[in-house]
Amino acid sequence: MSTIAALGALESGLVFALVAFGVFMSFRILEFPDLTVDGSFPLGAAVSAIMIVSGVNPWLATIAAFGAGMLAGIVTAFMNTKLGILNLLASILTMIALYSINLRIMGKPNVALLGETTVLTPTESWGMPYYMATPLAFSVVVLVVFFFLLKFLNSQLGLAMRATGANARMARSQGIHTDRMIILGMAVSNGLVGLAGSLFAQSQGSADITMGVGVIVIGLASVIGGEAIISPKTMLFALVGCIVGSILYRFAIALALNADFIGLKAQDLNLITAILVAFAIVAPKMKASISSRFSRTKQ
Amino acid sequence: MISLNDIHVTFGGGTPLETRAVRGISLTISEGEFVTVIGSNGSGKSTLLNTLSGEVILTRGNIKIGDQDVTRWATAQRAKLISRVFQDPLAGSCENLTIEENMALAWYRGQTMSYGAALNNKNRAIFKKQLARLGLGLENRLRDKMGLLSGGQRQAISLLMSALQPAKILLLDEHTAALDPKTAAFVLDLSCQIINENKLTALMVTHSMQQALEVGTRTIMLHEGKIVFDVSGEERKGLTIVDLLELFKKNQQGEVLSDDSLLLG
Repeated sequence: MSTIAALGALESGLVFALVAFGVFMSFRILEFPDLTVDGSFPLGAAVSAIMIVSGVNPWLATIAAFGAGMLAGIVTAFMNTKLGILNLLASILTMIALYSINLRIMGKPNVALLGETTVLTPTESWGMPYYMATPLAFSVVVLVVFFFLLKFLNSQLGLAMRATGANARMARSQGIHTDRMIILGMAVSNGLVGLAGSLFAQSQGSADITMGVGVIVIGLASVIGGEAIISPKTMLFALVGCIVGSILYRFAIALALNADFIGLKAQDLNLITAILVAFAIVAPKMKASISSRFSRTKQ
Repeated sequence: MISLNDIHVTFGGGTPLETRAVRGISLTISEGEFVTVIGSNGSGKSTLLNTLSGEVILTRGNIKIGDQDVTRWATAQRAKLISRVFQDPLAGSCENLTIEENMALAWYRGQTMSYGAALNNKNRAIFKKQLARLGLGLENRLRDKMGLLSGGQRQAISLLMSALQPAKILLLDEHTAALDPKTAAFVLDLSCQIINENKLTALMVTHSMQQALEVGTRTIMLHEGKIVFDVSGEERKGLTIVDLLELFKKNQQGEVLSDDSLLLG
């Protein structure tokens, strides 16, 4: 694999580490299967792109993307907690609605950002090629988000949120307003995904209406793959696992696509992802059954 | 201090499956009383407890704790006044969280959760001390996941958790029902210790007449959603199961109680 390909994989891995954080919060912490991310990822991109193209400060545009993602998460959580709609269904409804909303925001299926001032424009004066500067910039973002999330998950509020996902009835008996926790958690989760969408669009040079398709699968692949490698004993390990899983997923994809002898092409991407995720889920179980077989034969 | 005034609970009102679980119960519990509640299946014991904890909405009547009318309060709102131990040990704690995290949840019960760290050296030390009194070695396993423990161990920890913060009333919902006899006796003994130490007001639902007479200061019996008898003080001391059966027959005009598990448990 060439250096540029490797750095490209690293760059994607870092942006999607934010998606992994978001999916971790909804899927693992709140036990809320959330497909909203397929809509909030392009939502963040769309909001930022339109604002940047209209001349708004790119930093404001990026923060707005976070806010827009939060709103999407709040809508899904509201439908679930206050309207009693099943969590998976609520997220699907929001995701579908966002397709139309994103089209409205962008006015067309694709908004080009080439030549516009983005948050990555300052990195051009860092004295290194763009394919090194961008991953470096993204690592800073990921590290900052990582520290805030870690502090939050280890706080009293974070514990309340984890209890909501682990055992909502018991959480309520301890005075936790579980509805509020779900709304807060979904807001943060989708806010992060919206932020990721915004950064991704700014680094790729365009926001596209289809860029959200399959984001949930990538997020799950990163989270589950990360758990297979780093056992999530504490919140620290779990969050590091998200980052590692996301980067490794991108490297695995890049390797699979570069391996000419297998004959895989870009359109096989989803198939490769599905196989990788299935493997990541099954591998720990296989590991456990092999090691238990060894300990049985030792006796 | 805790008063339930003419409460009625009907499930599925107006449908063919209508169940009138509680049919007009009025009960006043004074501070420091330890009330045991017995009754056969379907008598409304758990429903009564659930109306107090806020999980069941009253069809009629009101509930006051102290001076506050809590009838419309949600479970989470009542949590600062009420602590509870569930019947199912697996439902009363979070199996994916560690022991210290579960205890921290109980530690912050009823308070506004802030962004401060959930666990620190100060509260860890308190949890360790509390766990040590169980004599099960759990004080060295603070970072183990709750799911690794047995039902009895989880129930014992749930009991400790219920007393970590002061509460106006402790609700014990057949909390030894899912345990083997030895562990059940241990947990019951621990319950009495905790209630005595913290001078708690407690309401214990039990399926066993024996247990109901052995512990507590007052015993009430429910039958078909109403209170059938209510004994405390001198009248209660020295009562046996046979006496309770007589009391039941007297109040139910000759109806005989034949629930085996109630009598033999």
